[in-house]
Amino acid sequence: MAERTEERAAQPSEAAARREVEIEASPEEVWEALVTEGGRERWLQAPEREIQIEVVQEPSRLVWWWTGEDEPPTRVEFEIVSVPAGTRVIVTESEPAFPISLLAQSFARVAA
Amino acid sequence: MSISTHGAARGHDELGQVFAALADPTRRAMIEALLREGTTSVPRLTAELPITRQAVAKHLATLDHAGLVERAPASGREVRYRLRDGALVSAGAWLADAESAWESRLARLKGAVERRR
Repeated sequence: MAERTEERAAQPSEAAARREVEIEASPEEVWEALVTEGGRERWLQAPEREIQIEVVQEPSRLVWWWTGEDEPPTRVEFEIVSVPAGTRVIVTESEPAFPISLLAQSFARVAA
Repeated sequence: MSISTHGAARGHDELGQVFAALADPTRRAMIEALLREGTTSVPRLTAELPITRQAVAKHLATLDHAGLVERAPASGREVRYRLRDGALVSAGAWLADAESAWESRLARLKGAVERRR
């Protein structure tokens, strides 16, 4: 298991959906499909939700915030791990306490 | 998207309150005690948990505000609390929706990446 970094540990959310998949491709190929808009268009199919990237650690870890008009904000974390058959992608989507997610959004706006 | 269905049973603000309430380990311990014992009270939780009576009362108020617990009909002079019916269902429904949505998305991701090789 990948170690939990500090800023992840600071998240109090425990309500988290978790799924993983193994892909016959290199972590770099998977990374491209996650981090670029063109890459995501090929599989994500969620145009109604806006993505704000929080963490980019190429090619092993990506975190984004998902916001949408009719959705509560959620935090989506990808761990990309090299395995013998190719690449394992572990995704965790959590709905943290509202004040924290709103805080993150305002940070993202300031940073943008 | 299937993920957008989870707000149907409960408003988003309410669901946010449920998750916020469940995000605290002490409050989860209280919920677990209620799942185990059916009802509980401030003195009983104070005896079980390493926190003060005031802290117990505050956490119970948070759980009450989130709609997770309610006062049980009085038996004697002690105020007892119980889980509210269906309180945990919406949180569980969100998780199930989100996991099923990711199941599909990850299958599409796999297809998209492997096709390009």
